[in-house]
Amino acid sequence: MRVSVISAERSVFDGDAEVVVAPAYDGLVGILPRHAPFMTLLGEGIVKIRQSATEKVTTRLQVAGGFLQVASNVVRIVARSARPIDS
Amino acid sequence: MAKPRELKRRIRSVQNTKKITKTMELVSTSKLKRAQDRVVGARPYAQALAEVIGQLYSAELAERFPLLRQPGKTGVRRAALLLITSNRGLCGAFNANLIREARRRLEELEAQDAHTELHLVGKKGVSYFKFTKRNIASQRVDIGDRPTLEHAAELAKPLMERFANAELDEVDVVFAKFNSAVSTPPTSLRILPVLPPDRRIGGSADRAPSAHPAIRPSVNYILKPSAEEILKQLLPLYVQNQFYRALVETAAAEHGARRTAMKNATDAGSDMLNILQRTFNRARQAQITQELAEIVGGAEALKG
Repeated sequence: MRVSVISAERSVFDGDAEVVVAPAYDGLVGILPRHAPFMTLLGEGIVKIRQSATEKVTTRLQVAGGFLQVASNVVRIVARSARPIDS
Repeated sequence: MAKPRELKRRIRSVQNTKKITKTMELVSTSKLKRAQDRVVGARPYAQALAEVIGQLYSAELAERFPLLRQPGKTGVRRAALLLITSNRGLCGAFNANLIREARRRLEELEAQDAHTELHLVGKKGVSYFKFTKRNIASQRVDIGDRPTLEHAAELAKPLMERFANAELDEVDVVFAKFNSAVSTPPTSLRILPVLPPDRRIGGSADRAPSAHPAIRPSVNYILKPSAEEILKQLLPLYVQNQFYRALVETAAAEHGARRTAMKNATDAGSDMLNILQRTFNRARQAQITQELAEIVGGAEALKG
């Protein structure tokens, strides 16, 4: 599935992924491919994006505010602020 | 004819000025590049917000949101106009154009009998309206050419609150829309009330094709917590983002305008140098010819 993370200033991440875990307003949500259309508010925390099922390539991003939207195998995280964290 | 020494002095002076304008042109070009990246970077976010608000919006929900409150039968009674100008000059008619647009919009609002207060960002706008002795509701000159989201939030917050409390019926912003480095028309944009999406959500820039995969509307979403709650959170972000974009676009437009102005100045300097150099050469030649004639004349006189 395609994942993009957009902050108010720029696009932070754009690529394919197998698992996305994001902090929703009331706790973590995990998104796998073929998830049903879904929209939720984001809280504050770390988004984990695992890019491949076999290899452990994970991107971590600190996000705050905004929303997460899933439809037709596309995940869009639109956050007020988002920045990558180095491992 | 002017004296060669006088001409030499002017040539040197024009050469120096040309060096300065050339450097300023180069500086603006590099700043423009960075500012332009910020404008482009801000687009996907604005587009995504506008899209989602458009999808969640419905007429019955709208009545519950103060930010969507349209002016009633009485029309617009109290409005606020935010004018964004630059802090620095030497950018041609850039600020003058913005101020003219702001005055046009002010007159338009006042023609509708709306009491309009003026908020200013940027030294140029502040000094102009101080000069005309107009009441200024708020002003700030600390934003400069690298506006951040915090700046936008600080500008948006009081205006949003007052709009929500029905102290204002309309909030407009006058800024330089950044179409390209050479096309930056001064633009009035109504930020509040947020217009329903069937009429307009976001400017034309929002509709520009995005690099991100589009999510088709009319999907039945699982909404958490609820459409109403999501809208409640996203509307202020959307409004804030409109302020942010106005700031960022104006900053980029300023550098574009300055680059053009400085390029014109450099070109004009080159033309002037050409003419001066030619006049100087002619004057020098004339002087030599005259001196020769005097020597020959003197020699002839001695012979005789």
